[in-house]
Amino acid sequence: MNNKPRIGVYVCHCGINIAKTVEIDPVTEYASQLPNVKVARNYSYMCSDPGQLLIREDIEKEGLNRIVVASCSPRMHELTFRKTLAEAGLNPYFLEMANIREQCSWVHEDVEEATAKARKLVASSVAKARLLEPLEEKEVDVEPATLVIGGGIAGIQAALDIANAGFKVYMVEKTPSVGGTMAQLDKTFPTLDCSACILTPKMVDVASHPNIELMTYSQVEEITGYVGNFEVKVRKKARYIDMEKCTGCGICAEECRLKNRIPSEFDVGVGKRSAVYLPFPQAVPAKYTVDPERCLFLTRGKCGESPKCADACPSQAFDFEQADEMVEFKVGAVIVATGFDVFDASRKPEYGYADYDNVLTALEMERLVSASGPTGGKIVLGKGDEAYTPKDIAFIKCVGSRDESVGNEYCSRGCCMYTAKLAHLVHEKIPDANVRIYYMDVRAFGKGFEEFYDRVRREGVRYIRGNPSEIFKRGDKLVIKVEDTLTAKALEDEVDLVVLAVGLEPRKDVREIIDLLRLSQSGDRFFLEAHPKLAPVDTATDGVYLAGCAQGPKDIPDTVAQAKGAASSALILLSSGKVKVQAQIAIVNEATCRSCGYCVEICPYGAIEMVEANRMGHIVSVARVNEALCKGCGACVAGCFSGSIQQKSFKDAQILPQLAVLGVK
Amino acid sequence: MVDLDKLRTVAKETVSRDDVKYLIGWSQGTFGYRVSPHFVKTPQEVDSLTFSPLCSNNLATYLTLTEKLPVPRGEEPDTRKVALMVKGCDSRAVVQQLIEQGITREQVYIIGCPCQGVVDLQKVDEKLGEGVEPAQASWENGQISFQLPDGKTEAFPREDVLADKCITCRYPNPVLSDILLWDEVEVWGSDDYEDVKELDSKSPEEKWAFWQDKFSSCIRCYSCRNVCPMCYCEDCILDRLNPTWMFRSNNVVENTAFQVARAFHLAGRCIECGECERVCPVDIPLMKINRKLYKEVREKYEFEPGLDPESKPLQASYRPDDEEDFIL
Repeated sequence: MNNKPRIGVYVCHCGINIAKTVEIDPVTEYASQLPNVKVARNYSYMCSDPGQLLIREDIEKEGLNRIVVASCSPRMHELTFRKTLAEAGLNPYFLEMANIREQCSWVHEDVEEATAKARKLVASSVAKARLLEPLEEKEVDVEPATLVIGGGIAGIQAALDIANAGFKVYMVEKTPSVGGTMAQLDKTFPTLDCSACILTPKMVDVASHPNIELMTYSQVEEITGYVGNFEVKVRKKARYIDMEKCTGCGICAEECRLKNRIPSEFDVGVGKRSAVYLPFPQAVPAKYTVDPERCLFLTRGKCGESPKCADACPSQAFDFEQADEMVEFKVGAVIVATGFDVFDASRKPEYGYADYDNVLTALEMERLVSASGPTGGKIVLGKGDEAYTPKDIAFIKCVGSRDESVGNEYCSRGCCMYTAKLAHLVHEKIPDANVRIYYMDVRAFGKGFEEFYDRVRREGVRYIRGNPSEIFKRGDKLVIKVEDTLTAKALEDEVDLVVLAVGLEPRKDVREIIDLLRLSQSGDRFFLEAHPKLAPVDTATDGVYLAGCAQGPKDIPDTVAQAKGAASSALILLSSGKVKVQAQIAIVNEATCRSCGYCVEICPYGAIEMVEANRMGHIVSVARVNEALCKGCGACVAGCFSGSIQQKSFKDAQILPQLAVLGVK
Repeated sequence: MVDLDKLRTVAKETVSRDDVKYLIGWSQGTFGYRVSPHFVKTPQEVDSLTFSPLCSNNLATYLTLTEKLPVPRGEEPDTRKVALMVKGCDSRAVVQQLIEQGITREQVYIIGCPCQGVVDLQKVDEKLGEGVEPAQASWENGQISFQLPDGKTEAFPREDVLADKCITCRYPNPVLSDILLWDEVEVWGSDDYEDVKELDSKSPEEKWAFWQDKFSSCIRCYSCRNVCPMCYCEDCILDRLNPTWMFRSNNVVENTAFQVARAFHLAGRCIECGECERVCPVDIPLMKINRKLYKEVREKYEFEPGLDPESKPLQASYRPDDEEDFIL
């Protein structure tokens, strides 16, 4: 490839997307006059088959060795045209794209000026094309295993799909049991399936599947490496109970001196547990865990004469000396299914969640109506003699969603329907209850949603359009101050129970995952997908996929669908066995490297390390780029004082002539 | 108090060590009030070492300036330490070099000289006339006294003859040293960047005119770059021909390009030793640029270079809450 540059320029009309504002013929004519340009053509859609054929034919007939396509953004079609070049036997990196659509025709109206700009853009691409160098695409092997972080329904589904396809899965769950939020729900909308009944079989499958290694009560500590070759370190936290010996009989929890004194996480505080606990009866694995922050023996070193739990254990499973265990393994792909937090209702003080016992969040209500909940499914408030069944019940929707004042502009997508479901369940359990729902809008967009919403309204649930401004106590009752915006009337509604339909939020510990995997967040603080439409489960980090509410609020069907999508993406990677690594990577000129290591700190992918080099007999430390890890982002290039790092295809010597044509020195 | 006997004793012990290649200190110069850097290789040479208000030179620059000659085949490179005498400001240069791995801690033995401020020779010349014969100076009770060649002694209040950087100095004591030659001095300075604020208050046009005037006189001798302890790339990007970031012609456009590139390469790295401004033969107030960037970095990122060898370099570190309101 030492021949003189023979450049072909192809100007695309993109239908009228470009042709409407840029005069194609003068641009093509101008391009044909540029030095080294042998052919300049235009075509209505360069990305179409005939368009690509033009390029291939010219490469063969005219002996072209550099191609400039003036069309859309390279993000759109650079890969398309690289393939075209490769098919014609040319190194795919002899392609340069001039973006005359997004950066020209779409943003300008004046035809004359837009045409002049298109000319300049083409000329600058031609200037760079002359200096392009052939690059080699390297391949690395893929470790045939996947790490799934999070054991909710998203993680469970993804893990099962991958395991069923015959690949190893490591599932890491932070809490003592898999199941996630779905396990806490009573019924699911709109079909009213029993949530636990459809979930528990899958939980059991995860634990018993020969291809799945389940690590509950564990945390991912470190992930290094790159697509196909991630090295993972997991901390298995001490349960103070021998998993092999524990039979899950529960005698220990009965004996615990703190029995029924600790708010249960699973029952979101509505129920109580012991310091040694099984989160819920169907928990998987059905093994008990000692809460190290509550257990008297672990916190004070003393629990009566001796811990009653350990004494009572028939299988002597207790081991208070147990320490955290570190596990290391390699995987090819990572699926992030870390889920969400529900909105903390005390951030809307006007609703009195923190002040009144009979203001509940929907998740608390969910536990209250659940047959497996602390009240056995009876909706009863108050304790002992003061227990009562609420008759007037109000739901308030969009608490913490669609609300700029708390920083959540998005719709949480599930609350409309779970509110309808809870209203239905309330009606079922308290037939004479008066249920009303205060709402801004009702979004019943999914399959069977509108029908369910209709059904609930026919059952007598009143929907009142209005956003309550305040809740306060008057006597035994709670008063909701609200304006019915359909009749423009101010109301004061006296009720026994208020249920806040709290929205979904990114997890509070989201930062940990970001730091582990260098993920990005979108404006709503959920994880950012690689493309909102065409790559919704991928992330900017190759080999890392998203599933479930970690990426944004979703209901169960959407979560499962996305989990299957993430599993499929991981499987494509695992089954291909090889992965191509970025060719336009950064390279270090070790002769001029000043050893400062700024690039090491700057690199967001951990792709650069300092190594020893011999410089005329002196041992110096110089930067070296790991070719498999480098993503070609160029951050190190910009940070290098001595200009010792250059990015292939974007070298200073290639970019400066390109800029010079645009009229910048 | 400055104790020259102690200084020479320590120097003698240091150069006698097997793991020390040589010692860099100051000695009486041959012209007027100037001192010169002194490379001591044997114990016999220590007697000419000195420390006085005339010791402006930041010797830290020699740590990286020293040419590394090719090691003949079969021989091992000399990896012994360099012993270095430092004032407060000089020590910050050493620390900054450590931060950015220009040197390693094992390569240097730091002899700390707490300093009461060095003189600005221009101010001295104005008071005493430009001396030709070697002369000496010393700190005495808040004054700086000059022992003139004719045997007379003249003393001035410190503030009258101190370099500007010393009047506002906040770090007169070495921030890092292996041995301290005498007691630390009391910190006298505080720095509110009055001079920077003054220039800042002007309009962009006025500032541009000011700098164009200054840069038009630059002769691109590169003294500022050569004396700077932070400018030590093996191969300066501004020297390269392909691609050419800065052309060789001496005009205000290229001079500006040079000075701007240098200023930005020093943002968050300049430790305010003021050597660039001291050596500039055409008196460009270079510290006005460096101090402007120093002030911005200090205010925006709560970062000061050259204080903690364990800190991450500014340009290579990131906090999620870093200010970015200046990014369009």
